[in-house]
Amino acid sequence: MRWLTVTSVLVLAIVLAGHRVVLAQQSGELVSVLRPGPLPGADPFDPAWDGAPAVDIPLGPQAMAVPSLLKLSIPTVRVRSVNNGQEVAFLLEWSDDTRDDLVVAGDQFRDAAAIQFPVGQELPNICMGSAGQLVNIWYWKADWQRDIDLGYQELLQQYPNFFKDFYPGGISGSPPYTYPEDFDRPEVRQFQVGWAAGNPFSIPRRSSPIEELKAVGFGSLTHKDRQTVSGRGVWRDGKWRVVFVRRLAAPDGESVDLRRDQVPVAFAVWNGSNQEVGARKQLSGFYTLRIQGQERILGIPRDYLPAGLAVVVVLLGVGVGLLLRRRIPGRREDGRGG
Amino acid sequence: MPKVFNWQINREMEYPYPASPPERQFAAVFDINKCIACQTCTLACKQAWTSGRGQEHMFWNNVETKPYGSYPLAWDVKLLEMLGPQTWEGDTYTGKTIFEAAPPGQVALGFLPEDLDWAHPGLGEDEVYGVVEGGAYFGIPHQVWFFYLQRICNHCTYPACLAACPRRAIYKRREDGIVLVDQTRCRGYRECVRACPYKKVFYNGVTRISEKCIACFPRVEQGLQPFCTVNCIGRIRINGWVHSPDKADPENPVDFLVHIRKVALPLYPQFGLQVNIYYIPPVHVPVKFLQQMFGPRVERAIETYRNAPNDPELRGVLMLMGATDRWVEKFRVRGDYVYGYDGAGNELVRVPLKEPIYIRPVYDRQFAVYRHNIT
Repeated sequence: MRWLTVTSVLVLAIVLAGHRVVLAQQSGELVSVLRPGPLPGADPFDPAWDGAPAVDIPLGPQAMAVPSLLKLSIPTVRVRSVNNGQEVAFLLEWSDDTRDDLVVAGDQFRDAAAIQFPVGQELPNICMGSAGQLVNIWYWKADWQRDIDLGYQELLQQYPNFFKDFYPGGISGSPPYTYPEDFDRPEVRQFQVGWAAGNPFSIPRRSSPIEELKAVGFGSLTHKDRQTVSGRGVWRDGKWRVVFVRRLAAPDGESVDLRRDQVPVAFAVWNGSNQEVGARKQLSGFYTLRIQGQERILGIPRDYLPAGLAVVVVLLGVGVGLLLRRRIPGRREDGRGG
Repeated sequence: MPKVFNWQINREMEYPYPASPPERQFAAVFDINKCIACQTCTLACKQAWTSGRGQEHMFWNNVETKPYGSYPLAWDVKLLEMLGPQTWEGDTYTGKTIFEAAPPGQVALGFLPEDLDWAHPGLGEDEVYGVVEGGAYFGIPHQVWFFYLQRICNHCTYPACLAACPRRAIYKRREDGIVLVDQTRCRGYRECVRACPYKKVFYNGVTRISEKCIACFPRVEQGLQPFCTVNCIGRIRINGWVHSPDKADPENPVDFLVHIRKVALPLYPQFGLQVNIYYIPPVHVPVKFLQQMFGPRVERAIETYRNAPNDPELRGVLMLMGATDRWVEKFRVRGDYVYGYDGAGNELVRVPLKEPIYIRPVYDRQFAVYRHNIT
């Protein structure tokens, strides 16, 4: 195991070193461009994305923790970002010949992509943060997307001719089925244990294909109480394009606040047909994302600059006024004396 | 990696976590010789826990025919082949455990079954090993043989599923050593399915997370034995708390069978999980085959088991199997009876060591019928 750890560190060091080179070459290129008006959120193929600068981020196999990915299957992810001063959108695009968006069979795994931000000011461990250094992860999953596009995916989508005599509660096991509707009774749902336990993977009604998570290190990944990231992923011609949208302002203390001109960001991609899941993934190092419109001038956010300037002008005016009032009597005194 | 002691291979071995034994350990002994593969245990379990949607392929309890049966398909022979030569010197295993043979990037040597591998739970049922030649006759071991293997989760002392879960969503209960998948934390990675050599963690494609045998813990907490045990019509099973060999209690029925008489053996001890389900090996099967499955103590175990008619205590415990739905913590043989007691010393059950025989006339005058030779 020890040699594995050493190898892992070396591999990651090489990956990160590579990133540093790329970062140096591409300094300032990962930018969320400011574009007032509605964001191109619902359609990953919206031509509005074409104008946004694209950066190819190299990915390396996760080899810091066990289980690890030994063989890279997706070498780069192309990232674009726009914001309108209120919301920010990211477009992740990568090549994948197979669309893996069904995980009903025991040997099926999903395609997925995630964006990771540190919540605090310090740069945490790339692998899901560390104790006291919370990270916020936005995690899009191809099967969740299919649930939203086509309805909750379950046995019949994998095995259309499957049938069973009956299920608890006297539910017929012959098609046509209605899942989850027929099964949404306590005496039946208790056999859908993950659903009854409230596991986000098992709840058969979804509002977003993107799950928001928090983590403080390996094994600590946890579904957030508040889910605020929306988006959509589409597979076309051997490519996934996935959009993530959220307000710039943090919805809670466990989320990244993007009302900053610079924020570290990292990316990860999973290829389901390569049995990639969980820690078996390819990831990038941390990159600096510049968010246009959130620049600070003299430490003041650009948004606050007009108001700030107004305050400064008013203060200056008051100051000058006071100075003048103080000087006028002085003059009088001087006049009297003179 | 920390070192832990595994008494079933009589040596220290590598395991990702330091040893942390529970206060008591759930265990069972299955007497293979008495099983008729009626699958009542399988159905009792299915009815109780896995009749939901997405659980159709799941048998937390299954009974398969050896040597050709296996569920999921080839679960054991595939891993045995991957593991390579498994050598013993006396009671000490000198080969590699699945933790020691872990490939790069994994906690344990294992494989993820293909989905259709779960689709044939009855494959190989009642298929015999060998061909009946002219002039064949019955002897021990049988020239042509098969036997039934009853399987549930082993609630291992060093579980591979637990070790492989990167989220620590699998835990071993301190109070009884039962191994559970936390249904709120599991994210369906199936690292546990890949790592468990016995393939007793199951992926649910409808809830998209994994599930496993829960040892009927709501029953165990009430002092009751699990459904698979109490529904067994062949009375082949008994549950109890098992101790390490140095703390074996000769009045505890499971300890007695495992440590005192040593008739009950672990399944594939060479995998290195220190399992807690024990088997009394079938007496009619060639020892060489059984040694690969149950380790080097097979011959002694069969010898001791065959001596049961002269061993009232052993007979006593065997008679306690299936005699009560309560959890028997102590037993005692007095006179012609065996007595089972709970933890507080209350008598739970009393069974005669030899069932009385009644001989009745062939013709029953009262009902005007002939009686056949049935019990």
